[in-house]
Amino acid sequence: MSHLLCLSTFCKKMAEKGQIGQTPAMKNSTALIQANGLTKQFVSYKKEAGLKGTLKGFFNRESVVKTAVGQFDFEVQKGEIIGLLGPNGAGKTTLMKMFTGIIVPSAGELKVLGHNPWERSKDFRKKIALVMGQKSQLWWDIPAMDSFLLLQKYYEINDRDFKQRIDMMSELLDVKKLMHIQIRRLSLGERMKLELMASLLHSPEVLFLDEPTIGLDLVAQENIRQFIINYHKQNQCSIIITSHYMADVQALCQRLTLILDGKKGFDGPLTQFEKILGNEKVVSFTFEKAIDPLLPLWKGLDPKWNELNNQVELRIPENELRKISGQIIEQFPVIDFATEKMPIERVMKTLMNNPKLLSEYNA
Amino acid sequence: MNSIPKWLETIRISISKVMAYRLNFLLQIIGPTLVFFFIKYNLWSSIYQGDRTILISGYTLTAMLAYHTWGLVVELLASGFTAMNLSEDIRLGRISTYLIYPFNFWEFHTASFIGFQITQVFIALVTFGAVALSGLIEVPMFTLLVKGFSYTLFISFLWFVMNYGIGLLAFWLEDTWILKVILMVISSFLSGAILPLDLFPAGLVEVLKWTPFPYLSYYPIKIFMGVEPNYLFAIGVMTGWMALITYCNHLVWKKGMKLYTAAGM
Repeated sequence: MSHLLCLSTFCKKMAEKGQIGQTPAMKNSTALIQANGLTKQFVSYKKEAGLKGTLKGFFNRESVVKTAVGQFDFEVQKGEIIGLLGPNGAGKTTLMKMFTGIIVPSAGELKVLGHNPWERSKDFRKKIALVMGQKSQLWWDIPAMDSFLLLQKYYEINDRDFKQRIDMMSELLDVKKLMHIQIRRLSLGERMKLELMASLLHSPEVLFLDEPTIGLDLVAQENIRQFIINYHKQNQCSIIITSHYMADVQALCQRLTLILDGKKGFDGPLTQFEKILGNEKVVSFTFEKAIDPLLPLWKGLDPKWNELNNQVELRIPENELRKISGQIIEQFPVIDFATEKMPIERVMKTLMNNPKLLSEYNA
Repeated sequence: MNSIPKWLETIRISISKVMAYRLNFLLQIIGPTLVFFFIKYNLWSSIYQGDRTILISGYTLTAMLAYHTWGLVVELLASGFTAMNLSEDIRLGRISTYLIYPFNFWEFHTASFIGFQITQVFIALVTFGAVALSGLIEVPMFTLLVKGFSYTLFISFLWFVMNYGIGLLAFWLEDTWILKVILMVISSFLSGAILPLDLFPAGLVEVLKWTPFPYLSYYPIKIFMGVEPNYLFAIGVMTGWMALITYCNHLVWKKGMKLYTAAGM
């Protein structure tokens, strides 16, 4: 315990002296975000339940150091959209907080757009934006347009650009009628659209989206995704997005970074992530009547039958997909078949239940 | 120079926020006056047993009521900004939003405070008009009124930095309300808001002169009542305290930011 505290204190001192985030190698990099060995530790205090525990804790507190993010290396190039994925408590939000300068790293190197984020220079803050799905950034008691006007002043946006961006985004998001209504009177979906607008008024170079579609209905989710895609096409800003909805990741991200227990588990293209568990496609078939599940054809395809034996889900190697599917359709009364829409969802579920698979893959 | 529009717009938004709830705003106007009449007016009237000839430390009932009536106006102008819930914002991680904007946290809160004060001036003027009509106070000369208002607005900044500093302690403490209450109780006693300082031992008053407290209530009330202090000394002591507290706040903020975990973001 004590050596961890020493490490944390040492890192804090390094940060104060500006020795974190200053290596010459990083200065030459073209990456918009570059992190090497980024670490964040939180100290909390143990407290036993009940009055006895409260009294005990009052006189003798036991501290616990938790490493939320450890030795994290990361690079983001201009124009990339990256999905930061992981279960709750994995360290995604801690990373976002460090990238945006809200919290100070305990150790490691971090540069965002050439700045040390935690110094929070105004120049840095003008180049980034953060949208938090769980927290409103617009002022609750006033209409969005008032907030936008305030942000116009904060980000020193000239009237012409401001008007043009408001017109363009309100059109795309279909929120023209909502801009003069108090935020607290809007639905979550409507508010989220306005939150997005607010964060993009100053054309940030890097946009951080922390669960932007959380709690939204399917149509609202789709609208937000479509808007982000269109906006990215036009502005080519870099976007880092965290989400528990795989549909967000599938629709938006070219690259995916998986965090498990504060450490990077995977970092690469989406297509590669889909194949972590092997080059197989999951195909389901529905038959007109019950089929014998013991036939030799199903062997090696990991079949999962329903109770009536008239529906099966198979894992078919990609190179045999055509042949095997053809055989099944020819031999049995197939009335419907479908390949899975989001293989990443299955991969994520499997990895979250069994993180060891990932170390085997990385090895 | 670039920051002037940011300040002005924040002040404007702050006023809109205060006025957003009309009923709330109306209660803010009449609430303190009602409380005053129910508590202080009745309390002092019964202490003097309604006898206008009794003298307590040089105060007749009329003078004592005038003292507390001016106290009401001063309180509205100087220490109305109790709504600032900095500690809760820090504890629940709400300040994250302000850390992202290119307008500093202290700038935002100071501008919001100025906006709030503008509405308070309006409320104080309405209250002043009402109590002047009731005959509880003698209406002073216009220049004295301007002096009293300006002085009181100046001390409101001292109140602001003191409350701001206590709010910032939330980086270390779970909640700071108890500290706020302690500050409120101590200051309402030592500032002369409960009893005029003339009723205090002379030695204590001499010591208090070097603390911020008497300048928060006693001095401004006396100005309105026509007893002008040594302005240079009073403003000097207050400026000194304000500078010291502001500097401490700056250090606390810097240290606190290193501990900030942005919980719940």
